[in-house]
Amino acid sequence: MTLAPARQPDKVSAPEYKEKRSSADTAFQAIVGGCSLVVLIALGGLVVLMGVGGQEAFRTFGLGFTFRDVWNPVTNDYGAWAPLFGTIVSTLIGVLIAMPLAFGTAFWLTAIAPPKIAAVVGTAVQLLAAVPSIIFGMWGFFTIVPFMARHVQPFMMHNFRHVPGISLLIHGAPFGTGLMTAGIVLAMMIAPFMTAVMRDVFGAMPGMLRESAYGLGATRWDVMWKVVVPWSRTGMIGATVLGMGRALGETMAVTFVIGNVTSVGWSLFAPRSTVASLIALQFPESPVGSLRLSSLLALGFILMLLSFASLSLARMLRKDGK
Amino acid sequence: MTETKPQVALAVRNLNFYYGQNHALHDINIDFPARKVTAMIGPSGCGKSTLLRIFNRMYDLYPGQRATGEVLFDGRNILETGLDLNILRARIGMVFQKPTPFPMSIYDNIAFGVRLHERLNKADMDARVQDVLTRVALWNEVRDRLNAPAAGLSGGQQQRLCIARSIATRPEVLLLDEPTSALDPISTARIEELLDELKEEFTIAIVTHNMQQAARCADQVAFFYMGRLIEVDTADRIFTNPRQQQTQDYITGRFG
Repeated sequence: MTLAPARQPDKVSAPEYKEKRSSADTAFQAIVGGCSLVVLIALGGLVVLMGVGGQEAFRTFGLGFTFRDVWNPVTNDYGAWAPLFGTIVSTLIGVLIAMPLAFGTAFWLTAIAPPKIAAVVGTAVQLLAAVPSIIFGMWGFFTIVPFMARHVQPFMMHNFRHVPGISLLIHGAPFGTGLMTAGIVLAMMIAPFMTAVMRDVFGAMPGMLRESAYGLGATRWDVMWKVVVPWSRTGMIGATVLGMGRALGETMAVTFVIGNVTSVGWSLFAPRSTVASLIALQFPESPVGSLRLSSLLALGFILMLLSFASLSLARMLRKDGK
Repeated sequence: MTETKPQVALAVRNLNFYYGQNHALHDINIDFPARKVTAMIGPSGCGKSTLLRIFNRMYDLYPGQRATGEVLFDGRNILETGLDLNILRARIGMVFQKPTPFPMSIYDNIAFGVRLHERLNKADMDARVQDVLTRVALWNEVRDRLNAPAAGLSGGQQQRLCIARSIATRPEVLLLDEPTSALDPISTARIEELLDELKEEFTIAIVTHNMQQAARCADQVAFFYMGRLIEVDTADRIFTNPRQQQTQDYITGRFG
């Protein structure tokens, strides 16, 4: 017993062990720190590449490049307004269609559907969200485009041709391609994704809160609008912005169905183009150093700003809710 | 007025309850005297909360759960199909284990339930809100911030708000499912005081794990074990001289 305390000072292995640990810690910190640094570098690199690449376009046409409605490779005259318009409008149509669809599905899945059916439908939603966008593009091309050309637009023309305002929106030859078609395909593409996120948001709501509302004699409708929606507001905005981000940058699905005409106009049924579809189509034919390539890079730069803007808008909306 | 009201608010007859295949309550027979506090005690999973959730048909929200037998409320079996659940739930209010303020202002938390069933003008609604908040002793604490979010209140205040919200629809029965289990002792004491005042007007059924709480607040105590009602009697009798050995063992802490 008396020897034991005397031995203790000899035990120098403990500090060594500690040191090893701390060097492993440092290495680990450096590695994970490096990982997050990659994110910053990548973001910065993208902005610089697009900005520098698009510099010539901005120098030639000024900042007004953004709002010039012309895209003419023959006369080497470019402006971003037409594809930008197409991107914004098709995204808005897509989000407007997808939001109620996603909300309804998510609410049904979490609050109303029998668990077994909810499990099946929930899995189907996740599978649909995982389908590559080019599949949606082909589906849109072979199904939605002919349907729009043969049924929807003729029907609208027949019934609303003489209604002021609406006639402007449906004007044009029934090609089937255009903003409306792109919006519908985008909606089908982002709705499952938004549904999956919203479902998680609703699922995170405490069951007791829902029961409290039912316990006061509220109908499902009351519970949905007055309790579930305000409670999950932040998450729903998040889901919508994620969907919007996907729609803004979607290339292949849109390129298949939008018609690829660089023009601006009221008609939702006329062929248009989007930033992403225009870049995808014209990039291969634009020689290095040309004004055209620079204009495409400038388009990319503007598209990036647009996504950043939608993200900050979401942040602002979220703060409002608190 | 009060003399004409029935002496038994809820009468349970041969009640059985099933979660799918799981037989959770067996042949329950019990009366809840009007304007008295009935406490339900027993170990976890014995069916106390299940019984409470039958009285406002909360189990209807979940497929696979069903009840057989009778629960008579105001001369009617509330287990009948075709009963208007929204009206039933306005007449039988419920307060939960944890405070559940809705994501809205203090005022709207009260007005929410009232608006579901009555159309009141602004002045009447204001009066109702003030009345119920006063009764739960919350008015003086929140009168200056009625439009602030209810989430900003302390836990004890939130729970009193939830009680105020439940009595705002003027129910006859209040169901309390361990209402103080998430609260500190001082908040708990205030809720218990509140129950004493509320029972002059409401029939109260409270589930509690706290034996002292049952002894302090209840007029009648029911002891449940493994989905069966073992014994029901006055609080005095249950805690001093129970008839069943199991009850004796539970209240003295020998099992549970």
